[in-house]
Amino acid sequence: MNPAKLLEKRRDQWSELESLCDAMESRGQTDKAGGAHHQGAEGIARFSTLYRSACADLALADAYQLPPGTVTYLHRLVARSHNQLYRANKFEPNRWTDVLFREAPQQIFADACVRWAAVIFFGLFAMSLFLGRNENMFPDFAQRMVGTQQLEQMEEMYEQPLNGSLDHYVQMSGFYIQHNTGIGLSCFASGILIIPCLFNLAYNAVVLGTVFGYMARPDVTGGDNFYHFVTAHGPFELTAIVLAAGAGLRLGVGLFSTGGLTRIESLRESAMKAVPVMAASAMLFIGAAFTEGFLSPSPAPYVIKAMWAVLSSGLISFYFVVLGFPRDETLLKRIEPAGEFSDAT
Amino acid sequence: MATPFALDTTIAVVTPENISFEYQLAGPFRRLPAFLIDFVVRWVAILAIVLLIWITGGLISISQLGPFMLATTFLVYFIISWFYGTLMETYFNGRTVGKWACGLRAIDIDGRPISGKRALIRNLLRVADLMPLAAVSSVAPDVPPAFMIPTGMVGLTTMICTRRMQRLGDLAAGTMVIVDERSWRLPVVKVDDPRVPALASFFPGDHRVSRSMARTLAIYAERRHYLTPARRREVARHLTDPLVEKFEFRRDIDPDLLMYALYYKTFLADPSDQAPDLGPLAGYSPLRRDENKPQGLALETKVGQTEGIGSTQTAPLRTNPLKANPRATGAAQRSATTKHSASSAVGSKQKRSGETE
Repeated sequence: MNPAKLLEKRRDQWSELESLCDAMESRGQTDKAGGAHHQGAEGIARFSTLYRSACADLALADAYQLPPGTVTYLHRLVARSHNQLYRANKFEPNRWTDVLFREAPQQIFADACVRWAAVIFFGLFAMSLFLGRNENMFPDFAQRMVGTQQLEQMEEMYEQPLNGSLDHYVQMSGFYIQHNTGIGLSCFASGILIIPCLFNLAYNAVVLGTVFGYMARPDVTGGDNFYHFVTAHGPFELTAIVLAAGAGLRLGVGLFSTGGLTRIESLRESAMKAVPVMAASAMLFIGAAFTEGFLSPSPAPYVIKAMWAVLSSGLISFYFVVLGFPRDETLLKRIEPAGEFSDAT
Repeated sequence: MATPFALDTTIAVVTPENISFEYQLAGPFRRLPAFLIDFVVRWVAILAIVLLIWITGGLISISQLGPFMLATTFLVYFIISWFYGTLMETYFNGRTVGKWACGLRAIDIDGRPISGKRALIRNLLRVADLMPLAAVSSVAPDVPPAFMIPTGMVGLTTMICTRRMQRLGDLAAGTMVIVDERSWRLPVVKVDDPRVPALASFFPGDHRVSRSMARTLAIYAERRHYLTPARRREVARHLTDPLVEKFEFRRDIDPDLLMYALYYKTFLADPSDQAPDLGPLAGYSPLRRDENKPQGLALETKVGQTEGIGSTQTAPLRTNPLKANPRATGAAQRSATTKHSASSAVGSKQKRSGETE
């Protein structure tokens, strides 16, 4: 059979496939394509049959000696139908608990990047807390780090004892979710370039540490109210920043520490590992936002807030250590996927 | 994955059906408009939803609702500004509004559709791709320092440097952006020159062209319209000279026409062509052994007519309907005008010009 005859014979099916593609693109269904055999499941079956035969035509294009223009047409037709037949995987919410309570703590426990982020953050935080607190030895440190104006503003803010109302709580929770989680997410994203992420982390550590230290000075007004405010949500929020930065650094470090993979493949693997950590971080940010919105500004006694801080620290430790401690099954799983990596790309 | 065309903007994808087809990759200049459209859509969506919330809140007018509406405003802003791309790409099969408008789609590098996790990574990392931020306040001091313009140099650089034109987010997520094919017309080459089928019948019936020759013929037939007649002959001669030798055609035969005839025979002609309709070539033979036979006058006028109704062939047909004329078309017209006046002496003239060529 010569190519012209073949084209004549196949053209009807190709144009039918095209019309099905049109219908799929506009509605996600084949019903609109018209024919009686295009309704519902029958239409999908028809679509995949046509798609397979177009695939076969393309595979045999060389043997049939089809002209290059037709081959290009077939490439496009197959690509178009492929995009319609294989559709994006939706999120699977029933897997989220698994991601949050199994994958994330395991990854956090095993991840050196999270440890380094924690060392950098809490080290700088403690250092600037000490430097900011110690007025005799480092008189200008706090003013130089944070700025005189900002420090005065802080003092002013916490002059009055805490006294929020429900109106205030709800809107502030929304604001904290938006603002703090946003900071965490951009910290994570810039982690792929490493330096912006480290800067962000160190900057936050130094500024927070200095403010904490400054407010802890005995002669500063509003110091008590300040600690009244920050105690409750502190554990959640500080850990969340560390986790976000750690997940971001995992991305950037994946470019250098490849572990035998190609650079890009290593980056891809690290990104897949970093997502659960980032999810855990976002969860902590949201927990911190609700605490910061509802509990922290409330006039509740300090004991309750301190207890909540202790409880949340305990929960975080449980999450990291007990849930995160390497289990045998995860060790097995870690060995298994080795075959997967080698044949990809 | 094999990448035979290192400089091409297509990428081969092997499907579960075990065939390989090609996607066209989308570069920075196709993706920028999509990004800008998305930027606008994002803000319009935020404003629209927030406005809707406040209007309905105002209509209900319960005083306790105020803080909740404010909190919802913050949440709407947070979700849309951070997860617009993720949600759109996950639920609309790899496309956002901007990508849909520009005919783009994000897919897995293996050609599979994008998954929610990958969409999340590539959209979160856009922040890194838009870096470094240009601080306007360093140039114009009266602009507030919060006003930063993303330059997108990181993303642009990685897009230029990678084979699949991926930005950092794409690299980390293992995705690429391709041009989403829409309807495409099937190109068909039609043979409108009546001499071609006739000439094709002079090839021996058992002659089969090689695979590479078939491809060359098809490309030639598709592209010959873009070439001037002189160029066509120049290009075709390299391939037709061996054919002329092999099948003993006349040496003055037009190489372009011969290529076209071979194309016709390979792709279009019916293999069981019993009695070829010689049409304009009736009584004329392009073969070398028939070169000295006298030609009929009827042939001459017929060929002149086909030339008159605008066939693609521009070679002068005064003597030999298949002969190439390397001279300019001006000369061809002149010879065409002299043709009818000197039609009585065609036989001898034809022979003479055949010798002089």
